[in-house]
Amino acid sequence: MQRYLIRRLLSLLGTLLGVTILIFLLVHLIPGDPVQYLLGEHPTDEAIAALNAQLGLDRPWYVQYASFVGKLLQGDLGTSYITGYTVWQEIVERFPITFQLALYSVILATVIGIVVGVISAVKQNTWVDRLVVFFSLIGISAPGFWIALFLIWIFAYKLPIFPISGYDGFFSLILPSITLAMGEAGLIARMTRSSMLDVIKQDYMRTAQAKGAPHLWMILRHGLQNAVIPVITLIGLEFGALLAGAIVTETVFSLQGLGSLAIESIGKRDLPTIQGLVFFVAFLFAITNLIVDLLYSWFDPRIKYE
Amino acid sequence: MKKRRLSSLTTIGLSLSLLLAACSSTTNTSAPNTSGTTTNAPAAAQPAATEGGTLVVAAPVEPDTFDPQKSTWLDNTNNQPYDSILSRDMQGKLVPHLAESWQVSEDGKVWTLVMRKDVKFQSGAPLTAESVKTSIERFAAVSPNKDLAGPIDKIEAVDAQTVKVYFKEPFAPFANMLVGTFLAPFDPERLKEKGDKFGEAPLATGPFMNPEVKRGASVTYAKNPDYKWALPFAENQGAPYVDKITFRFLKDDDTRILEFKKGTINILQEVPSTYVQELQAIPGAKIEKSMEQGMKYLGFNNQKEIFKDVRIKQAIAMAIDRDPIVQVALSGFAQPIFGPLPPTIPGYSEKIENMAKDMYGHNVEKGKQLLAEAGYTDTNGDGIADKDGKPLSFELLLPEDPALQRVAQIVQSQLKEIGVEAKIAVHDIATLKDKAIKGNHELFLLYFGLNDPDILYLLMQTDNSKRVHYSNPKVDELLAKGRTTMNEEERMKVYEEAQEILVKDPPWVPLYVAESVTATRNIEGYKLNPFTGDIPFGDIRITK
Repeated sequence: MQRYLIRRLLSLLGTLLGVTILIFLLVHLIPGDPVQYLLGEHPTDEAIAALNAQLGLDRPWYVQYASFVGKLLQGDLGTSYITGYTVWQEIVERFPITFQLALYSVILATVIGIVVGVISAVKQNTWVDRLVVFFSLIGISAPGFWIALFLIWIFAYKLPIFPISGYDGFFSLILPSITLAMGEAGLIARMTRSSMLDVIKQDYMRTAQAKGAPHLWMILRHGLQNAVIPVITLIGLEFGALLAGAIVTETVFSLQGLGSLAIESIGKRDLPTIQGLVFFVAFLFAITNLIVDLLYSWFDPRIKYE
Repeated sequence: MKKRRLSSLTTIGLSLSLLLAACSSTTNTSAPNTSGTTTNAPAAAQPAATEGGTLVVAAPVEPDTFDPQKSTWLDNTNNQPYDSILSRDMQGKLVPHLAESWQVSEDGKVWTLVMRKDVKFQSGAPLTAESVKTSIERFAAVSPNKDLAGPIDKIEAVDAQTVKVYFKEPFAPFANMLVGTFLAPFDPERLKEKGDKFGEAPLATGPFMNPEVKRGASVTYAKNPDYKWALPFAENQGAPYVDKITFRFLKDDDTRILEFKKGTINILQEVPSTYVQELQAIPGAKIEKSMEQGMKYLGFNNQKEIFKDVRIKQAIAMAIDRDPIVQVALSGFAQPIFGPLPPTIPGYSEKIENMAKDMYGHNVEKGKQLLAEAGYTDTNGDGIADKDGKPLSFELLLPEDPALQRVAQIVQSQLKEIGVEAKIAVHDIATLKDKAIKGNHELFLLYFGLNDPDILYLLMQTDNSKRVHYSNPKVDELLAKGRTTMNEEERMKVYEEAQEILVKDPPWVPLYVAESVTATRNIEGYKLNPFTGDIPFGDIRITK
């Protein structure tokens, strides 16, 4: 286990190094630069040159890259050109909303997805099953902004229960969480269903049935526990992805999470914020994956890491 | 999954919205103007207006900072704590504000500003000449826009009320710098204390103070209870009627509209023209139209060999019919324009406008004829004029703005009629500017705005022309002269002369002046000064 962990952590470092190269390339290959934004519409050539020098953008690319990685190693994500706050401050300010949103929607999606998935597997080829498949397809394929506007229209405008937009505590995150959970629940339900269908056909399920185990107990204890591994992988991946910020949902509901920060900083070509933010998100994603992998052995003792 | 996220990050780069488009349209105050108000004429009497309460405004652009000297973008959302030194009345005439009088020396090099005696900072300290001096000096040192203030040599506080600004050479556009809040006096104590971080806790003389910022979401100001030096065109010269004002930064149009319909917003700025009818029908709602202080144009990259032949540019200008652009693409919320300056910028000349209209009225036949004279005819019957096997085909660049995209489609079909092919390419504004600066462009749709004819210098003077890459020594000479001519009348004559050349040797095709639409609900006293972009929020009362 320990050796496995060390191996994984080392490969994590490699991944993150790769990520820094990718981010750096991406950010420097997109046309447009922060100096044009910072100096407004009509800068003089001298002003452009002076600001480039001040921001260090006139240095060769490898020097800029080295300085980016060097700062990262000291835990410094950089400082925004636009706001003057450190990227870390920007993230700390925005992360709570994104984290809550990701957490609520994943919990909601997991509960709905697993329950619905199990029912549909058990009732395979009945109308219940077809209904579940149909609705999960809708959940997966309906665009986020459409679900969001639909929910706002009904539950915030026609029935003024929730606020339309803006962050004002848990209550204001309910509609956005449902919006995000719809798609995720669809995915989880489908994964649970197919995984359960595999398990139900296994010999030990027949054995359990023959031994006279209660039906529900059998489904949950013998079935679900064995079927849950791929579902956990999926949930982990989805949670990791949600931590990057839900750009469309945040925009429609006017929530100031990481997604809206990403949009803003890209629009303004705020290089340090884009770089720092993408790195932070990649880091979270990698860590979430690692935790999920470690969780496997807890859910399924047959999985052991050496 | 990671791939999905990354690709969505890059698409955002492309799907940058209106917001940034709006950002780049002006360097000074975003400056629409009230040209008319339409009401749904409620039959019932207006409910009684009350004092107090919180006024809620939905604004499209969140300011980067509340320090006007660190920002390239000032509008009503971030200039509330500040007052300008001069202003303009509703007719555009220069009038006093924090300065009770001003004077320019014979040689145009020295500006003397005499400040009002009764003005106090929000801290209670009196406004002094010294604090005006300090603020202007700071602007000239740290602002990304410092060049807009001109060649300032030194500043002197002569006595407690009088400030003298010395220039190395005369600089007429300085008047317009004084009209905006770029040069607003800051509270000297707070400035000393916060220094570079002044924008985090600004303190000045304005009608609202102590911004409470929720970044990414909103800013709320409290009224300045001691205020009694409001803008000269404001009805209420004293403290604002409302207790607080909140600007909410809502980016999604559907969300903004629904919030307004729900009644959670009093003032909805930048209403898309497609929603106007719907909002007008709401009881207690009014639609306020205001002409923007700039214009949208079809630009040429004048450095391209093909555009060095003026006939090609003139032919393209004649292919454009502005009526369908205004009526169809903009639902009528715009005015066609032919000359280089719109009516909302000083220096606009009817004579020039008529001349341009005569020269470049919609005329497909004349356009084709000019192309033929330049050697371009459709030899292979594909509908596109060509010469030596090279077709007249251009890339038409534009930012991601829904209205401009509709305009582009109409322009594309109109150009086709004279045999010019335009391939539409939509980019986010940062990419577009990058291409324009580097000269990697042919045709493009963009806009400009500033409250002074000096905008022509910034757009057309050889060294500054970074969009259309225009160069004409005579124009350079006139535009430089316009900067140093202090007599208003003479100065406008200089610009008329320059504009005449810009019409005959066109660097672009002016298209239209857009009307920016604002919806208000349950308030009274809304007004917008077309020449400064200021809304005196102190005048507004909430009626419900």
